[in-house]
Amino acid sequence: MIPMLDKIWFPILITFWIATISSLLVLCSGVIIAYVFARHDFRGKGLAELFVTLPLVLPPTVIGYLLVVLVGKNGFLGQLIFKVLGTGIMFTWQAAVIAAYTVSLPLMVRTAKAAIEAVDKELEHAAYILGRSELETALLITLPLAKKGILAGLVLSFARAVGEFGATLMLAGNIPGKTNTMSISIYSAFQAGNNELAQVLVLILVILSLLSISLTGKFIDREKFEV
Amino acid sequence: MGARVELKKCYHEAEGSEKKGKRNVFSLDVNFEMKNELVVLFGPSGSGKTTLLKCISGITQPDDGNISVDDRIYFDSGRKINLPIQKRNLGFVFQTYTLFPHMNVRKNIECGLKGWEKGNKEKRVREMLDLLHIEELETRYPSQLSGGQKQRVALARALAPKPELLLLDEPFSALDRVIRIELAEKIKHLQKKIGIPLLFITHSLDEAFLLADKILILYRGEIQQFGTPEEIFYNPKNIHVAEFVGISNIFSDAWVEEQDEGYDAGPKCTVLKSGGMRITVKPLNLKEGDKVSWGIHPENITLLLPGSGSEDQDENIYPAYVHSIIIKGPKKRIVLKLTKHEKSLTAELPAQFADALNLNTGDLCLVKMDVSKVVAF
Repeated sequence: MIPMLDKIWFPILITFWIATISSLLVLCSGVIIAYVFARHDFRGKGLAELFVTLPLVLPPTVIGYLLVVLVGKNGFLGQLIFKVLGTGIMFTWQAAVIAAYTVSLPLMVRTAKAAIEAVDKELEHAAYILGRSELETALLITLPLAKKGILAGLVLSFARAVGEFGATLMLAGNIPGKTNTMSISIYSAFQAGNNELAQVLVLILVILSLLSISLTGKFIDREKFEV
Repeated sequence: MGARVELKKCYHEAEGSEKKGKRNVFSLDVNFEMKNELVVLFGPSGSGKTTLLKCISGITQPDDGNISVDDRIYFDSGRKINLPIQKRNLGFVFQTYTLFPHMNVRKNIECGLKGWEKGNKEKRVREMLDLLHIEELETRYPSQLSGGQKQRVALARALAPKPELLLLDEPFSALDRVIRIELAEKIKHLQKKIGIPLLFITHSLDEAFLLADKILILYRGEIQQFGTPEEIFYNPKNIHVAEFVGISNIFSDAWVEEQDEGYDAGPKCTVLKSGGMRITVKPLNLKEGDKVSWGIHPENITLLLPGSGSEDQDENIYPAYVHSIIIKGPKKRIVLKLTKHEKSLTAELPAQFADALNLNTGDLCLVKMDVSKVVAF
């Protein structure tokens, strides 16, 4: 029973660790990207939006492959990381974070962008006229009013990170005690005929997914401020 | 002290335009100066009123012109000066109030007091709450306020940072009549008390005359007339202004028949020929034979019964048949068919006067148009 528990607990912990770190990164960068997309026009904006959204439609194995090319030993980022850290990050939990971040970022950007666009621009103008800078206005007015959309994006991103499989497998592999996330453990337990373990992990993931969907529903079905 | 605005060209993004970056050309050609007074911007939708306020506030950038307030240059295309919105120090009350829905009244007012010392900030908020009599709303959220209350909070928020110019974009359009008049009087009073220039957009004529020290009439991006309410009402410069101030009886077929230099101490006047009528008006600086339009406000027409003896003595009295009578609240609107002109004339008189004349459709009566009330342009 003890080894069995270990086989359950480690995947849960590492999955949540990876999803949490990835979601925090997604939150910080995604909101900024969403704000810029929603409120600024610049040359190449269409292309940038396409680039950020691409992981939403690309097969996870393709994303995984591209990431390997980028952060692998011979990749541009990979070499940079090696120079700085003195070690590669392939087949580590950090690699799994990169995979999770890449696939969940578009969910945050799209949801947050829609929420920011829904904020009345005149409110921002009013704040500017009251002497507030763009950054202050974003922090005081725009983002608080888009809060529910941003939270919904966060829940979606977290759920996507928890369920990430393809890109993670290619980038971080399936190393027991190191990178075996829940999704990957389910797959390998099933392959090895360990149905009992697979079923427990499936049950936990289903419950967590249900929870996150109901949370998202709560955020998206937001109350409307009367202005 | 005061504001000076001179704009020659202004492009702005069309409202609701789907394609971003596609700019609609809107030419705004205005040039006016105002003192510390209340100027009402009046004109139909699409005449450039809101665009003008947006240019002054810095939300929209004009292409050509200059704007300055109290000798501070906000915008000067020649010298490439464009003061950022944040530095312009003006108050703006939007049509939709734009109160921040996630902040209570106090926080809304405080928003403009960036960098104020805490004690002063509290004092200023208190002053504003007192000034607009909204002390009891301090902790409420915008969704818990009525339209009139929101408007007061929006005003308090705009005034809190001590702006040097106040802009109000149709602030009363969503309010009912009673609150409108009450707030209009409040604003007029406030402007006198604070003594800053105030630009106020409306398309309600009542509001314009109730509030204005001066009225600026805009039409298709151009100033038609800028003057006191009296000037605008009694001396409209052109047909647009005449129509805006409610002069619905306009005759564009007239020409100057005679320039009467007056006798002894008698008044000078100009006589116009319009259809079969000779209309005497205040002296016009025109030559005989010049084409001219004239008109009269429906409320300035007097109706007389035939045989009352005044037919022959007074100027501008002509017979007409009653075509229809419409009850318009406390007034009656009477459409008259002139016998000496093909156009009909509309008169509006208090119901009690109309009833005293006991007029019915088809009756003959006399239309009297007082020389001082007839406008010509």
